[in-house]
Amino acid sequence: MADIQLMGLLNATLQAATLLFIAALGELITEKSGILNLGVEGMISVGAVTGFMTAINTENLFLSILVGVLSASIFSSIHAFVTVILKQDQTVSGLILTILGLALSSLLGKKYVGKKLMIKIESIIDIAEPSNVFEVLLNQNFIFYLAILLMITTSFVLKKTMFGRRLEAVGEDSRASDSMGLKINKTQFIATCVGGAFAGLSGVYLTLSYVPYWTDNMTSGRGWICLALVIFGGWKPYRTAIGALLFGFLEALVPRLQTYGFELSPYLVKIAPYIITIIVLIILTVYKEGKTGAPGNIGRPFFRENR
Amino acid sequence: MNKKILSTQNITKTFGQIKALDNVDFHLYRGKIHGLLGENGAGKSSLMNVLSGIYQPEKGSIYINNQKQNSLNPDLASKLGIGMVHQEFRLVESFSIKDNLTLSKANIYIKDFEEAFNKYSKIFSLSANHDSLVSELSVGEKQKIEIMKLIFNNNKIMLLDEPTAVLTPQETNQLKISLETLSKEDEKTIVFITHKLKEIKEFTETIFVMKNGQMVAKDLKTKSVKDEELVTLMMGEVTKSAIKKDNKKGETKLKVENISLAKNVIGFNNLDGINLSIKAGEVLGIAGVSGNGQVELANIISGIYKNFEGKIIIKGQDVSEKGVKARKKLNLSYIPENRLGVGLAPGVSILDNSVVKEYFNASYGPHLSTKKMVNYLNLLVKEFSIKTAEPKAEISTLSGGNMQKLLMGRELISSPEIIIAAQPTRGLDVSAVEALHELIISQRNKGSAIMLISEDLDELFKLSDRLIVLYEGKIIKEFNINEANTNNVGLAMAGVIE
Amino acid sequence: MNNYILSKKTVVNDFATFYSFLIGLFIAIFIGSVILLIQDQNPINIFSLMIKLSVGSINSLSSSLNKAIPLILAGLGISIMNSVKLWNIGAEGQIFLGAIAVNLIYINTEIYNSTLFIIVLLISGFIGGSICILLPAITKVFFGVNEIITTLLTNYIIIGLTVYLVNGPWKDPKSLNFPAAAYVGDEVYLPTINGKLSSGFLICILFTIGAYYLKEKSVFGYEMRIAGGSAMTALYAGINAKQKTFYAMLFGGGFAGLAGAIELLSQTHRVSIGISQGFGYTAIIVAAITGMRPLGIFLVGCLFGALTIGGTVIQTIGVSSYIADIIQATTLIGALVSQFFFTYQIKEVKNG
Repeated sequence: MADIQLMGLLNATLQAATLLFIAALGELITEKSGILNLGVEGMISVGAVTGFMTAINTENLFLSILVGVLSASIFSSIHAFVTVILKQDQTVSGLILTILGLALSSLLGKKYVGKKLMIKIESIIDIAEPSNVFEVLLNQNFIFYLAILLMITTSFVLKKTMFGRRLEAVGEDSRASDSMGLKINKTQFIATCVGGAFAGLSGVYLTLSYVPYWTDNMTSGRGWICLALVIFGGWKPYRTAIGALLFGFLEALVPRLQTYGFELSPYLVKIAPYIITIIVLIILTVYKEGKTGAPGNIGRPFFRENR
Repeated sequence: MNKKILSTQNITKTFGQIKALDNVDFHLYRGKIHGLLGENGAGKSSLMNVLSGIYQPEKGSIYINNQKQNSLNPDLASKLGIGMVHQEFRLVESFSIKDNLTLSKANIYIKDFEEAFNKYSKIFSLSANHDSLVSELSVGEKQKIEIMKLIFNNNKIMLLDEPTAVLTPQETNQLKISLETLSKEDEKTIVFITHKLKEIKEFTETIFVMKNGQMVAKDLKTKSVKDEELVTLMMGEVTKSAIKKDNKKGETKLKVENISLAKNVIGFNNLDGINLSIKAGEVLGIAGVSGNGQVELANIISGIYKNFEGKIIIKGQDVSEKGVKARKKLNLSYIPENRLGVGLAPGVSILDNSVVKEYFNASYGPHLSTKKMVNYLNLLVKEFSIKTAEPKAEISTLSGGNMQKLLMGRELISSPEIIIAAQPTRGLDVSAVEALHELIISQRNKGSAIMLISEDLDELFKLSDRLIVLYEGKIIKEFNINEANTNNVGLAMAGVIE
Repeated sequence: MNNYILSKKTVVNDFATFYSFLIGLFIAIFIGSVILLIQDQNPINIFSLMIKLSVGSINSLSSSLNKAIPLILAGLGISIMNSVKLWNIGAEGQIFLGAIAVNLIYINTEIYNSTLFIIVLLISGFIGGSICILLPAITKVFFGVNEIITTLLTNYIIIGLTVYLVNGPWKDPKSLNFPAAAYVGDEVYLPTINGKLSSGFLICILFTIGAYYLKEKSVFGYEMRIAGGSAMTALYAGINAKQKTFYAMLFGGGFAGLAGAIELLSQTHRVSIGISQGFGYTAIIVAAITGMRPLGIFLVGCLFGALTIGGTVIQTIGVSSYIADIIQATTLIGALVSQFFFTYQIKEVKNG
């Protein structure tokens, strides 16, 4: 019996981790190019609601995912435009987009609250109560495997391809990159939109698989955890995945606490991920003395001094 | 006779009221080393920026390979083979040498990188492995990579902006040999930009001279042109005053005993057993290539760094355990090397920055008197001829020269008894440099004890009474000014003790 | 072929921020109208209704100004922290902890003089907000940990704490549908001015003047500016940058905590999850639009308060209240976009 419960925990962990990881990976890409995007929460939300709306209206899974991903990407292009083209403050822009994103999705989703989905993203093999690791893995849906693929691809591209190295150069030192003929604006704009697309994918996963329904404030702060995850992971895809697993584990643990006989109030356990993130952040910053792996240029707008 | 690979006619570029370039004609021969001589502010950098596509001129035409260029931008210029090495390097510090050389889209040595790297490493006498991080290299080595970058990007026309500013005399010689090899064997066309007479004569085959935005001489044969001719062309009516070194020295105002800092990352002490003293009315020059402990020494004496061993004694009082306030009370002023960042706070207004030294004088208790601050700023502006627009504008809207004048003015207006000046005239134009030199000498004559840290040997020779050379954190040699010359000082700067 | 060059203007128009705000507001109203039209609503009707019901009577004006109080106070705190170039994303949590502190002191103390009690409680709220930002402050000042993330995460911790308290130790058995703490007694209700407008608004005015003085006219403000510009310059000036940064953060937290205290003592009268509905985040927008100017924060705060009331009220005729949020956020985006044109110039260069 304990086995089933453990597997159930693992199952939930993987799903929660997938949700967090995809958006975090997108933000990692954006930040690698030197742009800080605090609007992740809003973007996940936009992807979530548009994907859900499309699913209810068309019952076409592929279309729903596409719409969700694209909407979030277009939404993030606002941030890209304001910060990359217009060189305005990245913190402010990101925050506004979170507020705007959440408000827009609440507005759009109002009529869809409580509606039942006729379709959802199916597991590879639907197993109600997986009893071993293999079955847990089969019970995941294709987005889980897509996430793994994205992780490997992103890591490879960043480390081994010209494109990835150039992206990193832009984020490290934009003046040096400019002198190398690299296109700063284009790189940052695209990286931001890609980050948005990933966030949209997370959002779609949220409403078409993880939860699956729509209410207000579905994202409940996960976007902020994703930001913390990027730092936790030192801007490296594999380490970020480990962080996602850790936080996914905590999220999965909360509703199961009673069954494990813990007396802790669920409310307090819900706070645990945030506390852990702060502690990890402090430890990382202190021990690495500022060399946390952050891209050198992050947060600073670049423009070639022309007169 | 070499072909003209590039020529410009009537180039004009204006910024507001100032004509940075005034009908400039210029040309380059393939495979030759050209010199562009002129004082700071003469227009050399502006001309180079036009050639590399960063500035767009209002008037004039540019021909490259006999084809007229209608609108040059940095990407196009690069494609046409023009590359520039700036004074501030543009290398990604955390990346390897190989990355810095190969990430550019214009890189031509993709498959044969190893071969090319080895070939040019030899020409430049570079011993580093291409996987080393740029951050681990010395300044001289970084410059070599910057030049190699141009080669890897197939820039056949190489513009080098004051390349020897950061090199020891010995490294400068090495550079000369490398450039000669490049021009003769590789047919690279080189432009050597400088305000230093001696170097332009050593490095180049033909000289162009600029003054006040105009090209005042073209194609002078280096071998035959006379120094006096060049000086007159460069500076016109401005005569550089020779400084009388008959200043009387008084009592010792500053004494530094056995200053040491803990070992740094690379393994040697940033400062190791520094002993020196300066008398009233004396100028002590500190020579040395950047990065040998000068910044640390200056910050320790001024009270900014507190974590050191040894003693600092000012006017007889031991202030080693104390901070900046104690120094200020004993009338010490500090003009730091980092204008923006240490001396002046970036992102802060001109008005706020002007009273940094004595802001408590501009207040009534907890209340800040803007009126007092404005009066103080106006005083500085008048005394030191600072050109500023609005007091509330951010500090970096001032030109480099005016920022430095503000900084120096702020520090010197109180007639300090001890002055620590680090690289005070770096990057300034000739009239600003003259004015600041005059300031320093007048303070000396008033009895200040002055420590002058500079990479400019000319400046040190001109102003100092004694000279100390720092190398790897130690005082490697001391000179009286009449015993010092470029050769023995240069050797000391490179670590060679005779 | 024409080249376009981007360059920074050397002298920036002082009123640039104000004009940008107006332009942003205009754009926001335009976009809001579009959204309403898409939903088959008449923008003119909706907007005039919003105006009428938010500032059209003394009663509604008072409600609007009441709604403005937390925005202004939290916004002022954010602007103070901006002097040392730091962001306070944690205003939301600080508001909650301010309210929690008030309740904590209330149930554990008895002061017979009402006025004195209220003052003590308000101070507790301020301190509560400062305590909330204490960890981010310490980690920032001593270890350089990014305050954006720490203040942000603290929000979730404090909100979680609030949920725990109102469902657990402080749970009011009389409140059946809505988890909340017990009401505080009316002896500590903040008095109102005309029966509706809270005296908290007067506190607001006072603190606005105080923040303005602190930032612009005091030596402390000067020291904060230098500390925010460069720690080394501050050191040379004899200013302890770490100390100034620390105090600036405590102020920032305290102002938001005070906002929470006033919300509790004048609006909700008890601790619950309804103490703040995103005020802490909206305050960031308010502060940013005005370029961190206290006087501007006061005015824009009042405007946004009216907007929020207007948004709540039109729910009764079926329009989503989120229209107010959207207008607020879009105003700032519009302001940012137009600020670009005030800060930079685009020159067209032809070659010949």
